[in-house]
Amino acid sequence: MLPATAVALAVLAALLAWPVPAALARSRWPVRDPLVALVCWQAVGLAGGLSMIGALLVHGLAPWGHSLPEAVWTVLTSRPAGTAVRGDHWVALTLAAVLAFQLVGVLVLSWVRIARTRRRHRELLELVVQPGPQADARLLEHPAPVAFCIPGARPLLVLSSGMVAELDEEQLAAVVAHERAHLAERHHLLLLPFVAWKAALPVLPAAERAHGSVRELVEMRADDVALGSLHGTAPRRTLAEAIVAAAGGQGGGAVPTGALAVSGTGVRARVVRLLEPADPLPATARWVALAGAVLLLLAPTALLLLPAVS
Amino acid sequence: MASLGELERAVMERLWAADGPVAATRLRDELADRGVALTTVHTVLTRLEQKGFVRHDDARPRRFSPRASREEHAAELMHEVLGQAADRQAVLARFVGSVNDEEARLLRELLAGARTRDAG
Repeated sequence: MLPATAVALAVLAALLAWPVPAALARSRWPVRDPLVALVCWQAVGLAGGLSMIGALLVHGLAPWGHSLPEAVWTVLTSRPAGTAVRGDHWVALTLAAVLAFQLVGVLVLSWVRIARTRRRHRELLELVVQPGPQADARLLEHPAPVAFCIPGARPLLVLSSGMVAELDEEQLAAVVAHERAHLAERHHLLLLPFVAWKAALPVLPAAERAHGSVRELVEMRADDVALGSLHGTAPRRTLAEAIVAAAGGQGGGAVPTGALAVSGTGVRARVVRLLEPADPLPATARWVALAGAVLLLLAPTALLLLPAVS
Repeated sequence: MASLGELERAVMERLWAADGPVAATRLRDELADRGVALTTVHTVLTRLEQKGFVRHDDARPRRFSPRASREEHAAELMHEVLGQAADRQAVLARFVGSVNDEEARLLRELLAGARTRDAG
């Protein structure tokens, strides 16, 4: 007989593996408040991993106790199992270990690989690019209109000469403000778990979906933050123009073949919400969403730690 | 006191400007206005070699040359930025990726449409 806790966790894991992320990715409200949506996505990711591993762990440890602390205590004090330990208990424990190792391992590996590539990019940049007037912004000689930033302890913001040529001063300020927002809010850290779990769980379509949604949301969030610091007459329009110019700009013939452009739908969604802003999410809706995120995290934690009901 | 990063760039400038491999002593002489010691020049050259920007020949004393031109390094970087594979997108935050011609046309129409509405 499976403990009720394991069943509850398994149900939660199943919900978080497909229906919940699918619904969140399909819903329309995240566009109106990217920040709250990003919090929800983090909660979905964390609660999903927790309940998946937790369900296996609780089932595997069932012979030793009805809740995780009880079972761990029994094992630690070398007391015998209360009921017979069957093969499926060992299978569940092994799977839990493999899954935990896989998720955490891939996260660490992604972090190391990304950090290494970033360091290489920074080295290249510092070599080929003269320091710009601002300490953190550099100008790279290249015809393609490109702007990007390299996050990290010493962040770098890079504008290509093609970008500078294509945009006027206000539009350029909008681009810089957008990139600064990425750096200031550490968006790369919000993205990292989803990059890693997409790599760790390629069979899970939700991981792919979550990654795509979170990518779009951090861009929209950076747009929102940028708008707050722009002073022109129509900052929304200025930023939209900058996006269209940069997205539609030809790479100067230098874009590598094989380089697939980002999905047009994501760019279009950004432009549309700048030109025709939807009403911001009402305060109640924000709080409901945030409370939902907290509950989502509390549910598997409580199931794991509290004594089982059965 | 110049930082190592600045010195690295200064050394690379000299190497790129030179018409052949350059000995460390000559680099020290060329950087005389910075008051750089020969050991410092060697430190900088070692760092640049580790980063893969510089190589040396077997002559005595060793002579150093750049592995690639500044333009080639810039191109290498842009190749990575423009041709980002999915996991590479996490490495840097790009303002916006480029879209295909059809999408670009739609985006411009979107902008133009908004302008007409603003005017009307």
